[in-house]
Amino acid sequence: MLVFTRKRNEAIVIGDGIEVRVLRVGKDGVRLGIVAPAEVAVHRREIYDAVCAANRSAATTAADASTLAARLRASLPVSTTRPGA
Amino acid sequence: MTTASAASRPADAVTLPDGLPGFEQCRTFVVMSAPDLAPLTRLQGLDGSQPTFLALDPRLVLPDYDASLSPADRQRLGAAPDDPLLWLALVGLDGQRLFVNLRAPVVINPARMLGLQVVAADSPYSTQHELLLG
Repeated sequence: MLVFTRKRNEAIVIGDGIEVRVLRVGKDGVRLGIVAPAEVAVHRREIYDAVCAANRSAATTAADASTLAARLRASLPVSTTRPGA
Repeated sequence: MTTASAASRPADAVTLPDGLPGFEQCRTFVVMSAPDLAPLTRLQGLDGSQPTFLALDPRLVLPDYDASLSPADRQRLGAAPDDPLLWLALVGLDGQRLFVNLRAPVVINPARMLGLQVVAADSPYSTQHELLLG
């Protein structure tokens, strides 16, 4: 891991067009500003990890899809008919 | 991206340029709907481990679900402001308990056959919204 010491308003540049700037240093945390091209996704690690975990558990669903669908049709709060469905 | 499966890629394949978190190697999917599957939709991956997902419109789970996209995500999908978009919340089953990922829906622009999984910085929704089945 590359380690830098940065003060407030100092930044690092990653590759072509990504900048990470320290906006504020406080007791409870560091506030960072990220500048990145639109096609580069920037996420908080814990949120990204939660989405990974949810996706993995969704993909391993070995459900009988049509049985599950019938139970859903009986349970959902609103009509499941929609245009084009 | 060219893959071995690209030659046999169906015409209705949707491209998710970033894949899904945890399944980044899978970029192309087919969206399958069938009457006996409704309200579920099957999202079948065509690359890598070819994962299969079941999903449903998050607005069926929460009628007042906030289905709005950031301008950056809209731009990634090449979507004009009034283009109809397909919203799919992935469903996970744990025993008899059903969970819906309302936090990070997959949004598809049918006009461009482009999709992405929205991972907003802030969201009031859970990745594991439990749905109580009757």
